[in-house]
Amino acid sequence: MTKFIDKMNELTISRRNFIKASTAAAASLSLVGCGNSLTTTNAGQAAAQEGQWITAACWHNCGGRCLNKALVVDGIVIRQKTDDTHPDTPDYPQQRGCARGRSQRQQIFGADRLRYPMKRKNWNPGDGGKKELRGKDEWVRISWEEALDHVASELKRVKETYGNQSILAKSTGPALNAYGGAMTYWGCTSDGAWPKPQQFMNGNRSRGSNDRLDLRNSKLIVLWGSNPVWSSAGNPAYNFKQAKDAGAKFIVVDPFYSDTAQILADQWIPVRPGTDTALLLGMAHYMITNNLHDQDFLDKFCVGFDADHMPEGADPKENFKDYVLGTYDGTPKTPEWASEHCGTDPDVICSFAHEIAVTKPMTFTSSSAAARTSVGEQFCQAFLTVGWMTGNVGKPGASVCSNNRHNTQSYGGPTLVKAGGDKSPKSTNPIYKEATFPGPDPFKTDWQGIVIDEAWDAVINGEYTAGVRGKQSCDIRMLWNIGSGNTLNQNTDLMKGIEAFRKVEFVVTSAHFLTATAQYSDIVLPATTEWERVGGFLSGNPEMLIFYSQITEPMYEAKDDEWMYQEIGKRLGLDPAEFDPLSPKQKLFNKLAGCTVMNEDGSGFETLVTITAQDIAEMGVKGKPQEGRITYKEFKEKGIYQVPRSHGDQYVYIDYKDFIEDPEKNPLETESGKFQIHSQGLADTINAYGWNTLAPIAKYQYVTEGYEETFANFEKKEKSEYPLQLTTIHYARRSHSSLDNISWLREAFQNKLYIHPMDAQARGINKNDIVKVSSRHGAVIRPVYITERIMPGTLTLGQGAWAEVNDDSGICIAGATNVLNGGLPTGQGVQAYNTCIVQVEKYEGKLQKDYLWPKRIVAAQGGGK
Amino acid sequence: MAQYGFYFDMTACGGCKTCQIACNDRNDLKPGVLFRKVKGFEGGKFPMPWIYYLSISCNHCQEPKCVEGCPTQAMHKLDNGIVAHDKEKCIGCRYCTWSCPYGHPQFIEETGRVNKCDMCKDLVEEGENPACVDSCTMRAIHWGDLEELRAIYGAEAVSDLPVLPNSSKTTPSVLIKPKSVALLKDFMLKED
Repeated sequence: MTKFIDKMNELTISRRNFIKASTAAAASLSLVGCGNSLTTTNAGQAAAQEGQWITAACWHNCGGRCLNKALVVDGIVIRQKTDDTHPDTPDYPQQRGCARGRSQRQQIFGADRLRYPMKRKNWNPGDGGKKELRGKDEWVRISWEEALDHVASELKRVKETYGNQSILAKSTGPALNAYGGAMTYWGCTSDGAWPKPQQFMNGNRSRGSNDRLDLRNSKLIVLWGSNPVWSSAGNPAYNFKQAKDAGAKFIVVDPFYSDTAQILADQWIPVRPGTDTALLLGMAHYMITNNLHDQDFLDKFCVGFDADHMPEGADPKENFKDYVLGTYDGTPKTPEWASEHCGTDPDVICSFAHEIAVTKPMTFTSSSAAARTSVGEQFCQAFLTVGWMTGNVGKPGASVCSNNRHNTQSYGGPTLVKAGGDKSPKSTNPIYKEATFPGPDPFKTDWQGIVIDEAWDAVINGEYTAGVRGKQSCDIRMLWNIGSGNTLNQNTDLMKGIEAFRKVEFVVTSAHFLTATAQYSDIVLPATTEWERVGGFLSGNPEMLIFYSQITEPMYEAKDDEWMYQEIGKRLGLDPAEFDPLSPKQKLFNKLAGCTVMNEDGSGFETLVTITAQDIAEMGVKGKPQEGRITYKEFKEKGIYQVPRSHGDQYVYIDYKDFIEDPEKNPLETESGKFQIHSQGLADTINAYGWNTLAPIAKYQYVTEGYEETFANFEKKEKSEYPLQLTTIHYARRSHSSLDNISWLREAFQNKLYIHPMDAQARGINKNDIVKVSSRHGAVIRPVYITERIMPGTLTLGQGAWAEVNDDSGICIAGATNVLNGGLPTGQGVQAYNTCIVQVEKYEGKLQKDYLWPKRIVAAQGGGK
Repeated sequence: MAQYGFYFDMTACGGCKTCQIACNDRNDLKPGVLFRKVKGFEGGKFPMPWIYYLSISCNHCQEPKCVEGCPTQAMHKLDNGIVAHDKEKCIGCRYCTWSCPYGHPQFIEETGRVNKCDMCKDLVEEGENPACVDSCTMRAIHWGDLEELRAIYGAEAVSDLPVLPNSSKTTPSVLIKPKSVALLKDFMLKED
């Protein structure tokens, strides 16, 4: 033990020394690892006896939000663990975190964290200086005082010279709102095309799935474009596995035989990206011509399926059945017709259709992937229609669930436990009061906002699409990226984004690292992560609520985004006491006091947390003592409240049960009160956005960068210069672009381009080769993974890699997929990530493995670059 | 002598590598060194491809070649069956890295010595599971007395797979519930 204590003394794991050590490492650029000076297991052992386990936020936008605990010694995290707050059972499972969450200490304590404010060397206030150097200029460390003064004076100048609509911001924040707001961008990045079809076809039940435990009553579960092992890590795949073990058959529809499919799928059905509608129509044709559809269900609960059941005022000829049969257009949507588009074998289409029609009860569920396509609304229409044709609604084990993804993947029903609001005054952007997600009402004329896909083009060309108003002019002079993530990396059309960043007069960004958005800015502000803030709440799935605490003091000079808003506001003559009057501690308390949990009889909600006068005094906040189910101390200690579940408990939820039991008494919130297979309102709304037309029923139309566009001449089957289809999916290495710089994750997941051997061979591409992937919008290089698991003619590459664009070649060596995904607005403002056509060729240059790349540390941050 | 071991349910593994990262975290490993690895193996032809994942660390063999070949007794077997490594005694000769048929012991350039999975013996001594076990989101990794594991899972489990060396060489303390495709002799190592 003495020897060991000596060793500990040598290591001196104080936070101060840690920071010194990691600064030194940053300076030498030698640190490819975790940036932690503690490297021996013994150090961990000793610290385990002295440290404290604290609940740490895993706040990334992955949908999981599992329980993450950090072993903290003197402000340093030396180890992590996950949920061990109760014994683990399938009914009442621990909320176990994934590889990403488990590596998070490499993120918070990374040597590449931004430490100090900095400005671009060749930036000048007023005109931006040498704007063409954005992204490659040198950086100069500056004080917070100087940084905030610059940001405030530039904001003032741009507002007073050009008006608030000349500032473009993803999230405006209370100070900017109080200062008159900004032009914003909006879109449907996550849900794809689902929101409007849901609104008009099933009455805005956004997800519409049965309860998690009810999955085990299904005999068949169809997962359409869902890969929760990567995209909703944590429990969803485990929950599905319980249904499989209970006897459910799984069919997975996807261009890629995913890691989820390899666990669950009894059958994999490959389909070309963006052609799912054709596949579904072919299935409908088989069901109709073999009289396998549930006519009684369609008659009673739906409108629009056939000429006898049309919504009021609709043309009876425009019914789904006659479209499928080709009664009026002369084209029956046979499985053979479908196969020509979707690539699925016609016999498989028939057997699949047969299986979903006759197997009851069935869960028919889709995530958003197939809807993140050009005119993805047509897929949503077809998916719901074919699902409803089987009558699997409102009964145990039966469910047609749209948009089952993210935190609701494998879950359904009401949220059983939730946090309260922080009671801050509501802050709205005066010039864009609509929702930024899923988007504005296209019929309204009082908003100024740009769909994500047009944002960069609007900066460059001064024009954007504004619903029924059509093209509107704009004059963007400033990009405001405080508290708004990595927008340059994550918006479509990254190459044009760089051009836009280089055009405006001023760009400011707050960030944790030198992300692409920060890299192309004039002033960069180092922000705290959730581990350095006062604490908060995270809700993932509906059964639990995480209460996380502060883990460490802010790293270096990092500050909360809220503090930046306040300081900038002050400099503009605004009073923070008006636009953001509550302290972070008080906001946290308000959320805590407002936590509610469903009653044990399932009838309503009750207060979750007991708070004493002493607790309030210790927290240093204003509030009243209250009685709840658990004490504040217990909640903070455990860091989670999870509602215990068991088979047949009172929380079992069957969606649409009331409607199916009595449709007259419990109508849906649709125009007809029923499921709308035909919705003129949906078609009119999509048309009003101004990019596409959509039929009121599911029809297959060719779309921008869809399969048919891989041909110069589809009828003659002559291929175009972009003959392959790319999907850009959620990747296991990161959550969107968050965590992409983590060495452990880079080592585990090498971000390769997935390609079928046939497509590789045709291009002379072999194992271990580097390839160049080109689209109409840009080019990336990546190593290849040649595999039979991907459908020939299609490719996949995970989205979110940290762009590394070489200015001379114009090539991104990191494989950021938004270099390839163009700005192609569609439907209700959907980012069509999964309809992207490309060419692939062998690349002769070398590419080091990502985890060996130097971290992004510049001299102004104490590094040597 | 007691023998602790691992049980791995391949049919539940999604290749998410949470166990690998939890191990990295537990042992504070630098990239390039892995004590627990998740490897994929694949085959078949479109539209009937297959893949399976194997999560594997030290198998804490009952006849460990690494112990047999170690000139300094740095590699040694504990009473509970754990194959442990004494860094003080290790001279970095690397014999163990060559003699282990599973290629488990890792030579660490930085220290000039070997290191390996110790089954989280300090956690185990405190009555906890090894870090990888409690990390698994699919509950595919179990740990305990090998004979007890065999009694619970043995009927469906094997210690031999075409991708592994013959278990008769070292008698590994690991039980694997294989996917049926894992018994096929024609396979390819998946690229990460």
